Order: sequence, then C-alpha cells, then structure tokens
Amino acid sequence: MSAKGDTPAIELRQVDSTVPDGPGRRTILDGVDLSVAPGELLAITGPSGSGKSTLLAIAGLMRRVDGGEVLLEGRATVELRDRARTALRRDRIAFVYQAANLLPTLTAREQLELIGHIRREPRREARLRADRLLADVGLAERAGQLPGEMSGGERQRVAIARALMSRPAVILADEPTASLDPNLAMEINELLAARAREQGPATVIVTHDEISAGLADRRLHLLEGSLRTSPEVALRP
Amino acid sequence: MFLALRDLRSSWRRFILVGLVIALVAMLSTVLVGLTNGLVKDGTSGLRALPLTHLAFQPGAESVFSRSTLDRTALDAWKAQPGAEASPLGASFVNAASVGKGPNVDLALFGVAEDSFLVERPEGRAALQGEPGLVLAEEVRDEGVEAGDRFRFAGSDLALPVLGFTFAGSYGHVPVGYVSLEQWQKITFGGSGSDRFSAVALKLPSGSDTTAVNKAAGTELKTKEQAYSGSPGYSAETATMSLIRFFLLVISALIVGAFFTVLIVQRTNQIGLLRAMGASGGYIMRDGLGQMTIVQVASTAAGGSFGVAIILLLENGPVPISLSMPGVLAACAYLVLAGLVGSFVSIRRISKIEPSVALSAGQV
Ligand SMILES: Nc1ncnc2c1ncn2[C@@H]1O[C@H](COP(=O)(O)OP(=O)(O)OP(=O)(O)O)[C@@H](O)[C@H]1O
Ligand SMILES: [Mg+2]
Repeated sequence: MSAKGDTPAIELRQVDSTVPDGPGRRTILDGVDLSVAPGELLAITGPSGSGKSTLLAIAGLMRRVDGGEVLLEGRATVELRDRARTALRRDRIAFVYQAANLLPTLTAREQLELIGHIRREPRREARLRADRLLADVGLAERAGQLPGEMSGGERQRVAIARALMSRPAVILADEPTASLDPNLAMEINELLAARAREQGPATVIVTHDEISAGLADRRLHLLEGSLRTSPEVALRP
Repeated sequence: MFLALRDLRSSWRRFILVGLVIALVAMLSTVLVGLTNGLVKDGTSGLRALPLTHLAFQPGAESVFSRSTLDRTALDAWKAQPGAEASPLGASFVNAASVGKGPNVDLALFGVAEDSFLVERPEGRAALQGEPGLVLAEEVRDEGVEAGDRFRFAGSDLALPVLGFTFAGSYGHVPVGYVSLEQWQKITFGGSGSDRFSAVALKLPSGSDTTAVNKAAGTELKTKEQAYSGSPGYSAETATMSLIRFFLLVISALIVGAFFTVLIVQRTNQIGLLRAMGASGGYIMRDGLGQMTIVQVASTAAGGSFGVAIILLLENGPVPISLSMPGVLAACAYLVLAGLVGSFVSIRRISKIEPSVALSAGQV
C-alpha cells in the first residue's frame, strides 16, 4: 500500500478474452487496456453481449484471460494459482450484482457477518462493523430480516453494505440498478458514488442507463471488443 | 459452519425427507443388531454359560460337536497341561419323547462328569451324582414340562426323569439339557455305552503355551468364541445379518450421496457466489459436509433410539432379539461414516463450480 496515489487499484493490459463458439472461439475482448485509480468511479456502458460482464469477471479475478495481464494494486495476477486468486478476491475485491444475490437463509446482518467469517475476522468486530455499515446504508432497522422480507431496493442496499464489509480495493458492480425503478436506481447509484469517494475503493459500474453513467468520474464504452471514450460517436448509425 | 447452521435454522424442512430415510435406515440397522445379537445368544448361550475357556476337538471337526469324538488318551494328555482344568464333554442333539402325556422336546444334550469343573453349583453336582436323570433349561418348563416327567430318547431304550430346571441356555437354537456323562454315552452310543465323548472342555490360564500338549493329545484347540461358529446355523446367520447390514451401509451412502449431489446442484449459484466472495473450496466443503453430518447424526440418533425402543419391546417375546448398546452405537457410527463417504463422492463438484456463475446468475 505504499504508493497508493500512483498505483492503479486495478489495471488491465492488452487483455484478450474469447468464448467457445461452435467449433472455434469468438473474441469478446480484444487487447483491452483499462486503469482505475483508488477512489475513482468509472462507468462502463455498451450494448448487450458486448462483453461488459466478461470484463468485470476478468477484473475481479473470477475468469482467466486468453492474453494480457491483470494487475491488482500493482500486482500481476495472471500467473497466480486459483488459491491465491481466491484469497485476493476475498481480501481486495467485492462485487455488486444486478440481482442482489443475497443468501436466502441469512438475515441482513448475517450477510455481512459471513464476509467476516470467510475472512476469519473476530466475531464481535465483524458484527459491530456489519451493524455500522447497515446503518450507513439506512438499514439499521432491517438488520434481523431475511432477504425475502425486504424490498428490492433494500436488498440491493444490503448488497452494497456487504461489498464494503471487506474494505476492498476494488468494487465491481454489474448493472446494480437494472432491476430497480428509476428513483431507487438513482438512490443506489448515489450511494455507491458516495461510498467510493468516502472510503476510497476504485469502483467500476456497468450500466445501461445514462443518468447512472452521468454520476461517474469517467465513462467508457465497450464495443466490438475494445473500450472507447466516446459512446455518443460509437452509437451513431 | 456459519452458513450451514443458519441454513438449517431456516430451511430445515428440505431435510425432512432425507432425514426420515436416514432415520429409517438407522432404525433397521439397530433392529438388525438386536436380531443378530439375539440369534447369536440363542445359538450359543448354552455354550457361553459353561465356565470353560477352550475346547479341544477331534482334528477337522471345525468346532462342530457332532463331527468330533475323543477318548481318554486325549483327556489324559490335556490333564497334564500345567494350571489347566480339563473335563470331558459330550454334546449332541436328541429328540426326547415323553413317556406319558407331556410334550416331546428337542434338546441339545450335554453330558458332563459329576466331578467336572463345568458344574459349578452344588445342587447341580448333587443332581448328577444321584439317580440318573435330566436337568433342563428353564425354557423347557415354559413348554409345559414338569419335574418328574419321563423322557425316552430316540435310538435308545433309556428313559430318564426330569430332576429339575436351571439356567442352561440353548445351543443351536435348541434348549440345553444336562445328563451325567455316563448317561449321555448310553444315549449316544447305545447299549452299555462307550467311554467316548465329543470334546475336552478346558479352563486354561491366560497365556498358556498349549502347542506341545495339543500335539500330544492329537486334538484341535479352539477358544470358546471360536467354538461358537460350530453351533448349527451360526455362520449362516451371522453372514446373512452382516450382508444385510452391509447393504444398509451401501444404501445409506447412496442416499446421502445422492441427496448431497442434488443439494450441490441446487446451490450452484450460491456456491458460485461464495467463491466470488473469496471463500475457498475447503471452506465451502466443510460447510456442506458439516451440514450433512449434523443432519445425519440427528436422524441416525432419532432412528437408532426408535430401534432400541423396538428391541426393548420385543426382547422378552418369542423373537430372538437382544439389545447390545455397543453394537448399536457402532452400527450407527458406521452409518454416519458411510453417509459421509457417500457425500465425499460428490464433493468434487463444489470445486468445479466457477465463481463467475454469480455474475450470470441474476441475468438468466
Ligand atoms: N461461458 C460462456 N460461454 C460461451 N459464451 C459466453 C460465455 N460467457 C459469455 N459468453 C458470450 O460472450 C459475450 C459477452 O457476454 P457478456 O455477458 O460479457 O456480455 P454483456 O456485455 O455483459 O451483456 P449484457 O449487457 O446483456 O449483460 C456474449 O455474446 C455471450 O454470449
Ligand atoms: Mg452482463
């Protein structure tokens, strides 16, 4: 953590990614370069099927690349074994999904405590921080409720609190507001933006809607395997 | 087992069916232990009750009394064994036909010398030394036989009165009757009898070196426990029971394994999510196996207790069944173990689930 100011939280260098397609393979990402600084909020847009989720999976060390390098806080990860990548995910990376992806049998507080348990944090400490984070997203009252007893917006707020639980260096959000109504979507986006600025993780949001993208420090558009800076141009027929 | 415990807390219903099946298998296994134990007791309690440690048979008899005939030379040889007590024992199966109105009975007839160490109680000794007669197992009294009834033995002209009853047990599922060795020889060999008997009953101090004496006697030495296998039906029964119990273990492993596999498939998204969170394969496996162990131990305990209740209920009835708590506990432990082995087979599926399923999960 020495040169946090200079080192990008996450960096992709010339990343290629292909998927099986009939007898051969189809290229999804073609030499993608990306660098996100700590505390920066980046929005990525792009048409459906362009590879946005694939890009997040690669940045989140969930998927292996077919070429290039992925650096997490300056550390090369492509050559690492699964075990080491899993440990990095546990300690430095958090995801927010389109569906809240909460565990159906855990209460809101336990969703967060689970992260502490996986990270072998002392119980009491994990519980205290879980409660504080839930209060931060306005859910202090809902701590004891199961996902089935919460609204979609509340579930997504729990998911954001959960993402913050491990104090990650990178938060990767894949269309976190796509299944919410516009008001709630705005609320969630603002929450993510505020947390990014206050607590300093690099945050990458994949989104379809312009308003969410407008909140970001920077916007990129994924099209035909590469990232471009000006979506308006790319979208023009 | 953070997740496993909380998952059981709120979704225990999904485990009811598999729990019931496990409990049922545990109950069956427990009752089988009781039956095995009961059968073994019924087959060997007469032999078990005798205060002997070893039996010397004719070579090749394989602990079967009817295949073994020995004479005085063998007995005298064994009497030379230091620290040993040796005594002739005649054993055969006979049909005793009532002379009069009483029922006919099948007996495992044991002939023992009056001064034998096998007869421990003074009244037993007195009975054998007095007028020739029979001392019968208590069970025979329940069939309606009374003291004083006379019985004639098939193949001999001898008729003997019942002198009394004692806890003699049974052998080969037939109640035991005692006579003096002399009478036994008359019944078995006819006429005035011959000075032969089936085996030499021995009480050997532990750790005795018997090779020399055994060789001199020209006999085949068996421990008491080894001699149980000579009881008619013993090997077949224990083998049958072991086979059934083995099948129950296999069934248990298959049921638990299949259930666990389905559980893992159902939880694919959840497991992917946990992996995305950075939970190691080991963490997720421990959680899953821990959960299965809890379900198994609880169900097995319930089923086992039920089985014990059934055994206790039947214990003094006509079915040969008898409770052996160590046996039941061992059987239940094996069941849980078999279930775990079954779960292990599918556990590799967990590590094959990619964390990236968490990303696609919501979009399908
Ligand atoms: N495991 C896979 N096997 C085969 N093809 C795949 C696989 N994963 C992704 N793809 C393909 O890769 C392409 C990019 O998928 P991806 O999910 O990254 O797109 P996306 O930009 O996130 O789309 P959306 O906006 O609809 O979520 C798609 O055409 C998809 O069919
Ligand atoms: Mg996507």
